[in-house]
Amino acid sequence: MKRRKMDLSEAPTNFAKGVDDRFQAATPLRGLLNKVFPDHWSFLLGEIALFSFIVLLLSGVFLTLFFDPSMKEVAYNGSYLGLRGVEMSAAYESSLHLSFEVRGGLFMRQMHHWAALLFMASIIVHMARIFFTGAFRKPREINWVIGVVLFLLGFFAGFTGYSLPDDGLSGTGLRIASAIMLTIPVIGTWLSAAVFGGEFPGELIIGRFYIAHVLLIPGLLLALIAAHLGIVFKQKHTQWPGPLRTNENVVGERMFPRYAMKQGGFFMAVFGVIALMAGVFQINPIWLFGPYRAAEVSSASQPDFYVMFMDGLVRLMPNWQIYIFDYSIPPMFWPAVVGLGALFTLPMAYPWLEARKLKDKRTHHLLERPRDNPERVGIGMMSLTFFLVATLSGANDVIADKFHISLNAMTWAGRIGLVLLPPLAYYIAVRICLGLQQHDRQVLAHGVETGIIKRLPNGQFVEIHQPLGPVDDHGHPVPLEYAGWVVPKKMNRIGALAPAIKGFFYPVEKPADIPVSPAVGGPAKREEIKSGS
Amino acid sequence: MTAVHHSGEAGTPADVNDPHMTRFDIVKEGLRRDDIEIVTYESHFHGQNSKAEKRVVRNIALLFLLSGLFTAAFVVFYIVWPWHFELGHTMSDYYTPILGVTLGLGLLALGFAILAWAKKLLPHELSIQQRHGDPSSDDERLITGQTMLYVADELGVQRRPLLKGAIGLGMLPLGLAAAAPLVGGMIKNPHGDAEPMMFRTGFNPVANGDKLVRLTREDGTPIRPEDVSTGGQMTVFPGIPHGATNQHADSPTLLIHLRPEDAAETRRNAEADANGRNKGSMYGNYVAYSKICTHAGCPASLYEQQTNRLLCPCHQSQFLITNNAQPVFGPATRRLPMLPLTVDEEGFFVAASDYKDTVGPDFWERP
Amino acid sequence: MTSDTPARRRARVFSRRRGAPSRVRRRLGAAARMFAALALAGGVYTAFTPGAFAEDNVPLSAAAQEGKALYDTSCITCHGRDGQGVQGRGPSLIGVGSASVEFQVGTGRMPMTRQEAQAEQKPPQFDETQTEQLGQYIQELGGGPELPKGELVENLETNPDALAEGGKLFRINCTSCHGFGGGGGALSSGKFAPGLHDATAEQIYAAMLTGPQNMPVFGDNQLTPDQKKQIITYIQVQLQEDKDPGGLFNLGRYGPSTEGMAIFLVGITLLVFTSLWIAGKS
Repeated sequence: MKRRKMDLSEAPTNFAKGVDDRFQAATPLRGLLNKVFPDHWSFLLGEIALFSFIVLLLSGVFLTLFFDPSMKEVAYNGSYLGLRGVEMSAAYESSLHLSFEVRGGLFMRQMHHWAALLFMASIIVHMARIFFTGAFRKPREINWVIGVVLFLLGFFAGFTGYSLPDDGLSGTGLRIASAIMLTIPVIGTWLSAAVFGGEFPGELIIGRFYIAHVLLIPGLLLALIAAHLGIVFKQKHTQWPGPLRTNENVVGERMFPRYAMKQGGFFMAVFGVIALMAGVFQINPIWLFGPYRAAEVSSASQPDFYVMFMDGLVRLMPNWQIYIFDYSIPPMFWPAVVGLGALFTLPMAYPWLEARKLKDKRTHHLLERPRDNPERVGIGMMSLTFFLVATLSGANDVIADKFHISLNAMTWAGRIGLVLLPPLAYYIAVRICLGLQQHDRQVLAHGVETGIIKRLPNGQFVEIHQPLGPVDDHGHPVPLEYAGWVVPKKMNRIGALAPAIKGFFYPVEKPADIPVSPAVGGPAKREEIKSGS
Repeated sequence: MTAVHHSGEAGTPADVNDPHMTRFDIVKEGLRRDDIEIVTYESHFHGQNSKAEKRVVRNIALLFLLSGLFTAAFVVFYIVWPWHFELGHTMSDYYTPILGVTLGLGLLALGFAILAWAKKLLPHELSIQQRHGDPSSDDERLITGQTMLYVADELGVQRRPLLKGAIGLGMLPLGLAAAAPLVGGMIKNPHGDAEPMMFRTGFNPVANGDKLVRLTREDGTPIRPEDVSTGGQMTVFPGIPHGATNQHADSPTLLIHLRPEDAAETRRNAEADANGRNKGSMYGNYVAYSKICTHAGCPASLYEQQTNRLLCPCHQSQFLITNNAQPVFGPATRRLPMLPLTVDEEGFFVAASDYKDTVGPDFWERP
Repeated sequence: MTSDTPARRRARVFSRRRGAPSRVRRRLGAAARMFAALALAGGVYTAFTPGAFAEDNVPLSAAAQEGKALYDTSCITCHGRDGQGVQGRGPSLIGVGSASVEFQVGTGRMPMTRQEAQAEQKPPQFDETQTEQLGQYIQELGGGPELPKGELVENLETNPDALAEGGKLFRINCTSCHGFGGGGGALSSGKFAPGLHDATAEQIYAAMLTGPQNMPVFGDNQLTPDQKKQIITYIQVQLQEDKDPGGLFNLGRYGPSTEGMAIFLVGITLLVFTSLWIAGKS
């Protein structure tokens, strides 16, 4: 206690002292200031999701000030001439009102929608990064599960938000949601009647979705995001293998000031990109969709992209209905209920499945390069391909129309693609990983290709290799151990020729002038490595 | 250029009260206590106030100023630019783009200013922190485990079986009491009414005082046969109060006037209907099918008058009009129900009865 | 098919621009309609027996004579002599009316270059006068729907409700195939509903009246001429001319599919590049 007090005595504020007297904050605060974070671009993908969530909260609060979640019929009398006098729900009317009658309201609405898309897109990209680098392994399985649940919650947050304006498109989505509930055996009609308060659409659903969208789901999201970050903080971030890096340490930079500044700057960049997109690209022009009417629909009716995979699976499902005596299970049950359930529960179980298969009970703080676990990359690519084919099939009518392909052919292509492409992706990914690994091992064993061809006395041509490590008595390189990290494969990476000039993202491989050494007295003449040397 | 090479002997705490210690030395002592070692710590620039440093500082300052400029522009445009929606190509159409571009560029400039500051001006450092990810010691685990068991002992539930049962019986109703209002308030019997809502549409004469229900347009006007041209279709609603609103979301119907040869084929197939429900439902060359897709409930209303198909835009189910609207492609399994048509004494279309098949998406107990 | 003379090519270039009807065109149209009226007045009894029109001996107006000449070089292969149709190649044109010609020839769908799922829209092969003449010929051959005289777009100054009314009718009758944004959409097996972004008022009117290809017919009993004009007003004023208020780009108004692409191609791409720069060694 004494030392801590003196620690602070350097800071001439009674305030700090007072705080520490009450909360004993000095030691934890120092720990926070000093905490080391590893630095790699792929570690920033999750932050995009976090920052777009903050933008979602900010813009969402603004929207609630003007939105009226009521399905009461009113006649529109706003400035948008194309709908004047049209009967519509108060929810739709207030959405139009906040778009056209509130200064900057349309901009806020578009920002909210783009932020939602960015939230979901960055979650997908972030999850792919976690998966392919094996960051979900012990001790981080729980955080992986929380991540999957966050995606699921985002999915429902997005869907409820998409439904709120009660326009033609969102009503169609609601209709499909009710049909999906109806397909559930035994309880289907009861579930749909409970959610909609009777027969579809009823008069309650917008109010119910509203409270789910602005309170229940965001509350859960907030709690789980806090847990997600707390666990990352407690367990400390993973890092790539490399010099100095071990399973027991974290190599990077301290949180303050540099890392925190980078985070702050990146938040501004994410916010800026969302604002830019909200201004430049129109999103969800609800005024063109009209109020929801059960008889009206548009061609190319689609959900937002993160729900599209489910819609795609529903489109691709053959019309197989199962009859059990007088009862039946409609085909949509399988992709929409069972499929959705499986697509969320299987990834959750994956960390344990993999650990069990590899009999791996160790703790891992070092990431694995994708190539070092071809099996996992194969499975990941297989899932991604499945997701991609399903998502594209969710837009297959737009693709068919714009690229002049038969719609029926698109459906069949999706059906066949969904079965054939994922295994193919698995095979290709595994082969590519093995090939990359093989090449790394080859370089470790034989050295870097110099590009210098030597002719042997017997007329044979061989390429000179530059060993990366020591050589044995015969001049053959001693094979180096495979360490799972970047192997230099070009001569200028190991200091030959001249240092590479740094480019923006990749080094520009143009030899620079060799620095003048005072000992030599002039620029040293660049000497090429010759075959004889 | 300060390169710190910590020797790594973590055991020697420095005396932070030593007046000779610099601030950086004290920081290092703090790092030592947090098990952090700074391996490299060097400025990007040679010497202070170098030319390169000044240039970077200038650029960062410029970015900050740009940010201020753009965000100020945002506020100005927000206030002065015309923003009320007007039809056509007007200034107000650029309100949202201007807000987005000014705010976006302002935030991006600010972000990049901070990022460039962190990246270019702050010394580049490489620190190593020990993880200390080891699990608690076996002793600790044992103590905690035993403490928990002792808590259980203190409660003595094990020893007092009566309590165990009583807790279960006493608490369970509380849980149920918590769930009951939620479930009970939400629940609604879908089969509760005399004519269950799932199986009834607005064309049911029961709701219309047992009078046959007219087919009407969206605005409620009734329809004569000659109102629909050959090869034409019309979305019709039950001619009852609120018949065209979402209160009767299952009722929208597609009234189609077929060409004579197609009508003949349709009639042939309707008469030969296996379960006989579509028998006699056509009126002349007119046929009416439910617009609500039997797959997911979207309006299956893309009527192809030459190929006589109805396509649903949501999941691309296709129904053959001439063959009782049987699905011919896509995920739908069930045909679209046919509405029995006739004409009342005034010559307007009426539904001879309600739909004989259940309208709308399929479910478990659909007959 | 037509010979490709420079004059014709020029005509095609000109006829690509189909905005509001020019004065010349309106005059020609009026003349043609007068001829039509005269011709019809001369033979009104035959209107009730369309088959009789197939006779060669019915006197044709001058415009129709011109049209017949064009017909006999460009259309006769598929539609047969005197528009009787050829089994398996082209349908009979008796009773399709000049409105059909206005749509099919005016949008370049006819003459077809090859048989496919659906006639493709192309730069029209005939200029407006020729289209009128062809239409006149077909009209005199077998009667059928004609475009009304006068303005086809409602004046929103005097009738501001027309826009919302048109929008209502558009959503219940048209969007299922042509889409909320009028961008068109796919139909079964390679067929599609075309986009409406450069459709002229005459073409839209003719399409509703005649139900070309797989489009259903919207006769005057179903959608009155006024309602048709309201729909045209909505398409032209709201979907074609009104600049989208929500951004510089409307992403084709295709809805979530292009929005989803944009978030990955623009949002994620920009931010991944930013994070590459943030974490890059400098």
